[in-house]
Amino acid sequence: MSGRVIVITSGKGGVGKTTASANIGVALAQTGVSVAMVDMDIGLRNLDILMGLENRVVYNLVDVIEERCKLRQALVKDKRLPNLCLLPAAQTRDKTAVNADQMKTLCNELKTLFDYVIVDSPAGIESGFQNAVAGAEEAVVITTPEMSAVRDADRIIGLLEARKDEISQYRLVLNRIRPSMVKTNDMMSVDDVLEILSIKLLGVVPEDEGIIVSTNKGEPIAGTDNTRSGLAFRNIARRLRGEDVPLMDLDELNQGWLNKVVKFFNPARA
Amino acid sequence: MQVLNWFFQRKNESVRTKAKDRMRLMLIHDRLELPADRLSSLEEELIAVVSRYFDIDRETTRFDLQQYERRAALIANFPLLRSKC
Repeated sequence: MSGRVIVITSGKGGVGKTTASANIGVALAQTGVSVAMVDMDIGLRNLDILMGLENRVVYNLVDVIEERCKLRQALVKDKRLPNLCLLPAAQTRDKTAVNADQMKTLCNELKTLFDYVIVDSPAGIESGFQNAVAGAEEAVVITTPEMSAVRDADRIIGLLEARKDEISQYRLVLNRIRPSMVKTNDMMSVDDVLEILSIKLLGVVPEDEGIIVSTNKGEPIAGTDNTRSGLAFRNIARRLRGEDVPLMDLDELNQGWLNKVVKFFNPARA
Repeated sequence: MQVLNWFFQRKNESVRTKAKDRMRLMLIHDRLELPADRLSSLEEELIAVVSRYFDIDRETTRFDLQQYERRAALIANFPLLRSKC
């Protein structure tokens, strides 16, 4: 088997990188393929919490690299999906515990065991990021429509471009879109961000308080039905698998009765 | 009246447009690693060079940074009044 190694990255912290990694991992696994998630945020481990697997972590990525255990021993199986595994980061070490060559070797081994390897990159553009992209062939850049996040995403796109030989494609996930604010022209739209960054779109995830609830429960929202952000992540997973899935209509999310009345009187506002 | 405005008029696009314009200009500078004041000294030099050959209309001379995919272009417009020969 030769799986695909996809790194999830953003530049700026706090834009939803780890949340996206967890949800993309779960959504991919739900389509039936085998998935390994790798937490590369060494020293600031979080992916295990989002997956609700923090109590099951025995060994970690640095233990595997330093040969204190076998890869299979360090992989933590998901509670619900038997075809989904997590390779946790070390919490008591730092980014210097791993180098790019070791990461490449690790990803190559994971590729032989899984259809998809999802690597959650740390924030920043330094060694942690460089190591996270070292073994990857594809990248997903996460940003929110805020100016500081878009600026950092642009920096990351520049760095990915410089690795054209290894990274065959990179696409954007625009996270935490607030359709109501775009509609009143108080924030940049999806098209604005795409035009400025000149990058292909993989998906749009609307702002959703349900994400906080799902994190607190340790159950990624993509695994539960009836949430728009969960559906957005499931669509992203299907697009990663090559399916042509149309973008969800963000305007639909705002259609309260008052909006419908306004729209009736003035279609331009809609 | 306020309510009617809210109902019938499109809200102005200032915040969104401003964010987009600032963003575009910032990223052009970032990508070129261009310090903020560098362009104005280039513009002065360009005006000086063109002025050796032509009288130009300084009032309507324009410089504009435009984005093409992930590349930038500097568009200069010198309205020429007469040649200096």
